Amino acid sequence: MSRSLGGAAVVGIGRSPFVRSSGRTTLSMAAQAAREALADCGLTAADVDGFTCYSTGDSAGPSQVAHAIGVDDLGWSLSVLGGGNIVTSTVAGAAAAVLTGQAEVVVVYRVLGSQTRYGRALERVEVDGEGQFAGPHGYLVPPQWFAMFCRRHQYEYGSTAADLGAIAVQERDHAVRNPHAVARSPITLDDYLNSRWISEPFRLFDCCYEIDGAVAIVVTSAERAADLPHRPVHLLGAADSNRFGGSVDQWDDLSCMYSRDTAPRLWSRTGLRPADIDVACMYDCFTFTVMATFEDFGFCAKGEVGDYFRAGRATYGGDVVVNPHGGLLSEGYIHGLNHHYEAVLQLRGDAGDRQVSGAETALVTSGAGPFGGALVYGTAAA
Amino acid sequence: MTTTHEERPSVGADPLSLPPQPVPDAVTAPFWAALAEGRLAMCRCEHCGLWLQPPLERCRRCAGPTRFTDVAGTGAVYSFIVQHRATVPGYLDNLPYVVALVELDEQAGLRLPARIVGIDPAEVRCGLRVRAEFTELPGGDFTVAVFRPVDGP
Repeated sequence: MSRSLGGAAVVGIGRSPFVRSSGRTTLSMAAQAAREALADCGLTAADVDGFTCYSTGDSAGPSQVAHAIGVDDLGWSLSVLGGGNIVTSTVAGAAAAVLTGQAEVVVVYRVLGSQTRYGRALERVEVDGEGQFAGPHGYLVPPQWFAMFCRRHQYEYGSTAADLGAIAVQERDHAVRNPHAVARSPITLDDYLNSRWISEPFRLFDCCYEIDGAVAIVVTSAERAADLPHRPVHLLGAADSNRFGGSVDQWDDLSCMYSRDTAPRLWSRTGLRPADIDVACMYDCFTFTVMATFEDFGFCAKGEVGDYFRAGRATYGGDVVVNPHGGLLSEGYIHGLNHHYEAVLQLRGDAGDRQVSGAETALVTSGAGPFGGALVYGTAAA
Repeated sequence: MTTTHEERPSVGADPLSLPPQPVPDAVTAPFWAALAEGRLAMCRCEHCGLWLQPPLERCRRCAGPTRFTDVAGTGAVYSFIVQHRATVPGYLDNLPYVVALVELDEQAGLRLPARIVGIDPAEVRCGLRVRAEFTELPGGDFTVAVFRPVDGP
């Protein structure tokens, strides 16, 4: 049987400034985001008994951040090793902790400081595990892995640079209305096509914007949420998929991603389908991640994402608004937790100039390649 | 297997001059040992014959014992990238270069990431038939298999 996550809700959201180089510690930024998230929902450190984060070993841990904001006795603490692939499990795990009585109020955060940059190796490298087969060939970092996926999609389905560009241009256009975004200057398709190659077929504007910053969200029970200031945002369901041990090289079909397996699971658990989604915060470490997962979640057929975006179906007045905040491509790369922040803001109706009119459901995806997950938030409990 | 950087005799003053160096473990060591002898060997289950990459001590399908077994060294480019940006140590010059996932002939889906040599990057295509050849990895401790286009099927 499948029990609903709808008994849990996100009640508070907070974040630090997003900047290219902050000069701050991860602890400082995470503590700021956590404080802001609690203030947002009218709670204090005394109300918090759970803390969790995901990281690749590059972040202040949950107990440190809890301590830093004045939590004296943390009853539930979970540090998860992972990146974009693990966001859904971390948020859904916090909800599960609330629903099973392990904690009452849980802060979920992700912080990235200047010492973490995934797009480039900054020092001498030795590679163990599966990376030892790839690294010696100069094949080491995520833009290379997902460019490899993208090339196969282009080969099998005829998707083009202009299709990728349509995603980059649309997301940047959304970021123009987002004061918190780091990249707010509009770009054209020509700008996209003229941007320099990184890992062909990826150009500069296919890649997310790596920055410093922190995001925190507060999860508690729907009962408690009813007494808090904001309209609660309920979890309606979550699903993950992990195959091939996370190997980007051995994943069987590079034209799709984890979402091939996650999507039917998520739609089955929630009873929803793509047409029911008002806002789609699609994990967009790269433009192609949006393309592959958007197809997998069933918004359109293979090879049709470019046309979908060009027809205005992925923006205001279309079928679903994709990344109204500008996503990781333009708002900034906080490893996907900023997608949750945006979804909550939209479902509260508090997104200001970029509010999606009447938004009641939001899909939030996380991950790329062989592993990831997604969840759906709604204004009404499941 | 880990040696300090100072102990490596061929390391230049610039720590970014060498490509990423593999760190073999108890399971992967035979892969590197075979390459040092000019052979490309992959992990295979001795019971059911399944090829396993990355290698495992026991087969993930039948839990049988595994052994590194020579492969023909031929395959096809499943997908590839052309790396233009200086991103990885040891590859900061001589851009662009091509890295492919080479699907080996021994088993559908059995892939190795490797550089493609001997062809203009603009000419590389998915499906291109390639054959392994061996070259020393700068640093002096390891041999790697790169792939070069071959004619015919």
